[in-house]
Amino acid sequence: MNSANPTSGHLDPEPLIAGNQTFRSVTERVCSIVEAKTPPIWFIAIGLAGSLAILLFGLIGYLVWEGIGIWGVNIPVGWGWAIVNFVFWVGIGHAGTLISAILFLFRQRWRTSINRFAEAMTLFAVICALIFPSIHVGRIWAAYWMFPVPNQMSMWPNFRSPLLWDVFAVSTYFTVSALFWYVGLIPDLATLRDRAKTKLRKIVFGLLSLGWRGGNRQWKHYELAYLLLAGLSTPLVLSVHSVVSTDFAVSILPGWHTTIFPPYFVAGAIFSGFAMVMTLGIIARRIFRLEDFITVKHLDKMSKIMLVTGMMVGYAYACEFFIAWYSGNIYEQFTFMNRAFGPYAWAYWIMVTCNVVVPQLFWFRKVRSSILALFAMSILVNIGMWFERFVIVASSLSRDFLPSSWDYYSPTIYDVGIFVGSFGLFLTLFLLFIRFLPMIAMSEVKGVLPQANPHYHQPAGTHGGSR
Amino acid sequence: MELHETSYKLKSPSLVGRNALMAGIIGSLLSIVGFFLNSPQFFHAYLVAYTFWLTLVLGALFFVMLQHLVGAVWSIVLRRIAESIMSAVPLMAALFIPVLIGMHDLYHWSHADAVAVDHVLKAKSAYLNTTFFIIRSVVYFAVWFLLSRALYRASVQQDSRFDHIRLAKMKRISAAGMILFALTTTFAAFDWLMSLDPHWYSTIFGVYVFSGGLLSSIVAITLICVFMRRRGVLSKEITHEHYHDLGKLTFAFMVFWAYVAFSQYLLIWYANIPEETIWYHARWIGSWKAISLLLVFGHFVVPFFIMITRPAKRNLAMMTTMALWLLFMHWVDHYWLVMPTLHQEGAALSWIDVATMLAISGLCVWFIWRRLSANAIVPVSDPRLAESMEFTNV
Repeated sequence: MNSANPTSGHLDPEPLIAGNQTFRSVTERVCSIVEAKTPPIWFIAIGLAGSLAILLFGLIGYLVWEGIGIWGVNIPVGWGWAIVNFVFWVGIGHAGTLISAILFLFRQRWRTSINRFAEAMTLFAVICALIFPSIHVGRIWAAYWMFPVPNQMSMWPNFRSPLLWDVFAVSTYFTVSALFWYVGLIPDLATLRDRAKTKLRKIVFGLLSLGWRGGNRQWKHYELAYLLLAGLSTPLVLSVHSVVSTDFAVSILPGWHTTIFPPYFVAGAIFSGFAMVMTLGIIARRIFRLEDFITVKHLDKMSKIMLVTGMMVGYAYACEFFIAWYSGNIYEQFTFMNRAFGPYAWAYWIMVTCNVVVPQLFWFRKVRSSILALFAMSILVNIGMWFERFVIVASSLSRDFLPSSWDYYSPTIYDVGIFVGSFGLFLTLFLLFIRFLPMIAMSEVKGVLPQANPHYHQPAGTHGGSR
Repeated sequence: MELHETSYKLKSPSLVGRNALMAGIIGSLLSIVGFFLNSPQFFHAYLVAYTFWLTLVLGALFFVMLQHLVGAVWSIVLRRIAESIMSAVPLMAALFIPVLIGMHDLYHWSHADAVAVDHVLKAKSAYLNTTFFIIRSVVYFAVWFLLSRALYRASVQQDSRFDHIRLAKMKRISAAGMILFALTTTFAAFDWLMSLDPHWYSTIFGVYVFSGGLLSSIVAITLICVFMRRRGVLSKEITHEHYHDLGKLTFAFMVFWAYVAFSQYLLIWYANIPEETIWYHARWIGSWKAISLLLVFGHFVVPFFIMITRPAKRNLAMMTTMALWLLFMHWVDHYWLVMPTLHQEGAALSWIDVATMLAISGLCVWFIWRRLSANAIVPVSDPRLAESMEFTNV
């Protein structure tokens, strides 16, 4: 544990939360975002995001009306942007679970500043992801066929199909993430309830906070529940994207069938998820003046995680390339040469640049402490990770074993519209979240303040109380 | 066996080193007999024992680098033990010589006449050839040696006087070291284990070999701690909290091993491509099936249910039993990786398997114990040491 130790000289870790906060100032700072009058910029933002979300639903309506012919998919590329977007969005969610579960088990107390909104991001990303498998055949009235429900036609989904495993993996993931997020919210909801000035807020937060009183017994149970949920969520960090990777890897298609796919997809998911947490975190800390909570130190640590996971992804690219050559299998060899130098070479090199080259800048402390650079890099990483899935899907399908059926896949305006629209939905949900719920876990942040340490002594000459 | 009060060095370092060396010498003599009686069996048995220990030693190197990189405090009191294990790299390099001598018995691709009639092997011959194989092996050992020596030296130098710059240096070495480690370990796994069946390939293979090695290094650290504790050394410094954390890591990396093993198996089973399934097929013939199932249950299922509880991780008798068991499973794992190339009809245990294991284990324990007794047994001047000894699991 990195509690302060007077003997450790300048190894003494810097406080996790800056600005000499007190318990009260933390509450004030975080609650004021939710309680103050809605800032105009929020209306502008949700107007934009909401319009895009409407675009998404409108286009889905058109898709259902017209059929998937409006997309660019055709033989041989029967899986286009829909699966790319699905994998992209599921991946984004993984940082939230890593932060809330694995970093909790690793006693990484800096996670408290970012876990709440990262977890919220997980939920919204999974919602966006779930749209794509539901619409991808254009017949949403048959979407329930994905579930193994008894029906009059005595049809069952193929239990050996990874697409069915996806349904279980992602729905479990969503359920557990939602529970975890909600359990974490309860003490903060109670704080909002206690501060509520209007009847409506009192009732709504009163219902949501489930009668939380903050008693010793409640905390004891709460912490045990939190630990157990963290333990249960930990395997999900690995399992969900591993299952997603099997969508490709169980096939016999060169470029898809390779044994490193499960851990490689997990690393990529955490990589892209952290990039998204960083993008949103940088914007949020700026707009809501949360620089004391999401400090440069937090961004620094997140950069390091991105550096590590980015290199894991790079390792997987290299490994695949080497084994394709080493296999002596001409189809494997062709697929990888085709990726790097074929018609999709542009996408491949965007992927390599954004995912392997750009993160190398994280080696430099200067970069890790420059908000502007981090912001730009986090967006580049997300672009790169989207392209990674695109490269996997399009390059392998467009040129498989039979050259006579080769084709070049291009998306249509509807593919683009639905993808852009999914960002609209994601941002709308996120904006609603930061407007109505505390985006920083107040109770957890208070737990990492120096005052929370039982051995804390107030420095001489200072007095507690709010700033 | 006790500790010197101020230097924290092992006084009268018991008979461990001498006994281990004796065992190593006896094992070596027996192995030499085995070599003359049945050289293919000897070389394969030797490779099993050798990669068992090599992965363990490399696991310790990874452990040390990881603790530096994440700035872990709880594990500082354990660091010297891990550092002593990892400093066995020079011994491992020396012990690699018999593998080179036995190349023709071990590696089918090293026979020029076999390559000449096999177009797949011909296609790979730019990589799988004797000269390049030796060059690569030298590079791997050079990297591991330089990394482990630099980290060990910096840590020992720190004992006399703490220096922030040195701590930062160890961090830097670890950061670059991780990249080198990942590449060298992967390719070493490809070269020394995967190329036993030169037609077969799997991209996750390097991760698989690494995961088993890391697990065995963590249980080895646990065993050394328990061994010293029984003799009253570091019994107060290394607390149940440390065992609890070691238990958590053991559990986590056991599951990680299973995850990697299962990923490889599932994907190959599902795609059902003959070039790939042949490797598992060879491990499903005759008694190999029993060994495969032993790995599934012994390396994962049973330990999973035993180790998942909190009391099991804080119970030293249980932790010791599980550590010994998992080490045995690590050996079974490597036996399962190597031996099917020799005994294609079914597992056939030989006394040479035991002799080579005795030889290498004896020498490794002797060497590691010597390193452990050479310097303070904990990084005495690390300012965070007190904190490391006092930590508690919340």
